[in-house]
Amino acid sequence: MKAGKMLFSFLLVGVLAVAVVASGCIGGETTTQTTTLEQITLKVIGPWSGAELDAFNEVIKEFEAEHPDIKIEYKTYRAEDLSTILPLQFESGDTPADLIFMWGWFIADMGTKGHVMELGQIINPNEYVPGILDTVTVDGKIYGAPFTAAAKPGFWYRKSFFEEHGLTPPETWDEFVKLLEQIKQIPGIKAPIVSGDSVGWPLSDVTEHFIMTFGGAELQQKLINGEVKWQDPQVRSIFEERLVPLLEAGYFSDPIEWTSAVELWWKGEYALYFMGTWLTGMVDDPTDLGLISLPGVKAMVLAPDYFMVPKYTSHPDEALELAKFIATEGQRIHVGTSSGKLATWKEVTMDDYWEPMKDVAKVVANVESAPDLDDSVGGEWQKAFWDQLKLLWVQPDRLDEVLKTLDEKFPKE
Amino acid sequence: MRKSKFLTPLFFLLPALILMVPFVIYPVFKTVYLSFFLDDKFVGLENYKNVLLSPDIVNLDRFPNKSPPWGALIHNVVWIAIHLPATVFLGLGIALLLRRKEIKGASIIKSIIFLGMVIPMIVGGLIIRFLFEEGAGVIPAIFKALGIEGLAITWTAYPKTALFAAILGSIWIWTGFSMLMYSAGLASIPKDYYEAALIDGANRFQIFKNVTWPLLKPITIVVVAMTLLWDLKIFDVVYVATGGGPGGASMVLALQMWDYFARALNYNYAAVVAVLLTTLTLIPALWLIRRRD
Repeated sequence: MKAGKMLFSFLLVGVLAVAVVASGCIGGETTTQTTTLEQITLKVIGPWSGAELDAFNEVIKEFEAEHPDIKIEYKTYRAEDLSTILPLQFESGDTPADLIFMWGWFIADMGTKGHVMELGQIINPNEYVPGILDTVTVDGKIYGAPFTAAAKPGFWYRKSFFEEHGLTPPETWDEFVKLLEQIKQIPGIKAPIVSGDSVGWPLSDVTEHFIMTFGGAELQQKLINGEVKWQDPQVRSIFEERLVPLLEAGYFSDPIEWTSAVELWWKGEYALYFMGTWLTGMVDDPTDLGLISLPGVKAMVLAPDYFMVPKYTSHPDEALELAKFIATEGQRIHVGTSSGKLATWKEVTMDDYWEPMKDVAKVVANVESAPDLDDSVGGEWQKAFWDQLKLLWVQPDRLDEVLKTLDEKFPKE
Repeated sequence: MRKSKFLTPLFFLLPALILMVPFVIYPVFKTVYLSFFLDDKFVGLENYKNVLLSPDIVNLDRFPNKSPPWGALIHNVVWIAIHLPATVFLGLGIALLLRRKEIKGASIIKSIIFLGMVIPMIVGGLIIRFLFEEGAGVIPAIFKALGIEGLAITWTAYPKTALFAAILGSIWIWTGFSMLMYSAGLASIPKDYYEAALIDGANRFQIFKNVTWPLLKPITIVVVAMTLLWDLKIFDVVYVATGGGPGGASMVLALQMWDYFARALNYNYAAVVAVLLTTLTLIPALWLIRRRD
């Protein structure tokens, strides 16, 4: 009985096999085949959550629509946390995601250590804002790609607040100082400028704006490269003559948590807030926003979100496909949302922008762009920079000590 | 017979021992090993010298005449000097107070005080941060009401106050532990002892000095040792409340170790601080074990 059943099974399989082969031969060119699409999942790690993630999800949705065989799974990780996780995972030949957004200097570092795929095949440097790829390029090899960028263009104010108090944006440094004094006299104002804080980067953004206004992009680049010391007379004078007097006069508030600062500033407890362009997506009415750059500003930080494709991805081709999309068409989609970001891919036009960002994009287009100072140097120095600025903000008389520490902690090579 | 007496416990211990080797013993030896190397080159005690002489760890130029930073090691010592007696005596005082019959709702008050121990330390750090923030926190508001403008500031933003804000905040967090321990200890003392002391004509202070305090000695040893260990390995509260700043004014050893490891990616220096921290925490731990024996 058992042997009979087996014989029948073999016979059936044999018949089926012959039928399949025969159908293939007979069918020729006119045979239609139905194939099931195998869907793969790519993991993406980025820093966004909330409204910022909603904006990025628009990019992801578009990519998934164009690539039905690829599904994207997104996880939020801060760069600070990733910096502790990734080196160890990479050393063990593993990666938590197929595409990871991270600091430019970190990507370059991981690239030189052989953990990251080269992106030269999908990135055409001529299509990008000049200099934007420098941070992620080592010895001519491009290890990272830029997504959209945040600019740090100046001090934001509410147009309605200025109208209510008869204030006008300044044209000169003296007018700027006079404006601060005018604001200080307004009843209910705690300080003219609110100082954002948390891990420390908001203070570094303000400081860099002063450096670039009075020293230009060249000085910023030299500080990044370690070619100019922090105790150099040129740098010292920017602190001594421009920033420190404002701090001593009480024009800046104590550093307070930067998202709380947004609310307090919007409520009218402070009049000005130095922040990146992402602020446009954080306020109730972006059309009420006005922008004051320091008079005579020569350059501005254009800080893109860089990403890398780790070598340990299980889907290198699909990951590169996604990388190419994010670095190009993805930017066009992203600047059209309320992300408050600017394109680094030159194919994006002014018409692609979200309405409140068009004016900002025009302002930024008229000045030289420079890399973010602390993000470019990175490492222990970055934290020291943030920390020392917090100290300077509350004790401006310790400028000498702050500048000395920044020189001492600067990477030796 | 003797063989089986040895083999049976070993058999039951084996799974734990097997797990301990890769997850505890190997990392411990590897950490010590790393502390003697720099860029894969054996440097002997060079790393120890560099780290211990660094102002990040001990800054005698500023200590004690100027405001912090005094170095992470000194900050830990200051932490112990303030936090340890404060939590021990505050916990004991509250436990004694809440034992009195005339205090109504003692268990509710205890629960509220113990809340500091129950919440995640990250949340505790955040609460400390806002507690001491001008315009939001109750501490600057109190000083403002008292007319002490010098302290009606954001404590975590100033070098002279940041360390103390973190320490005072952690007293709130940790007092619940010592209060609970002392409450349990007080409940275990037989009432007869107090009755006998009262019959002998002892006053309240004499009863405390000669009956309560000596009988609470085992509890005190545990509270002191555990508080010391907590003070030495403090990390999360400082990380969230002040980030070790401003200007390193509230930096502690555990946070410095993390900075070397995660920021500077200098695993060797991080290993040195880890060895130092482990050695320091072993002292109260061994003391506790010996006293309990």
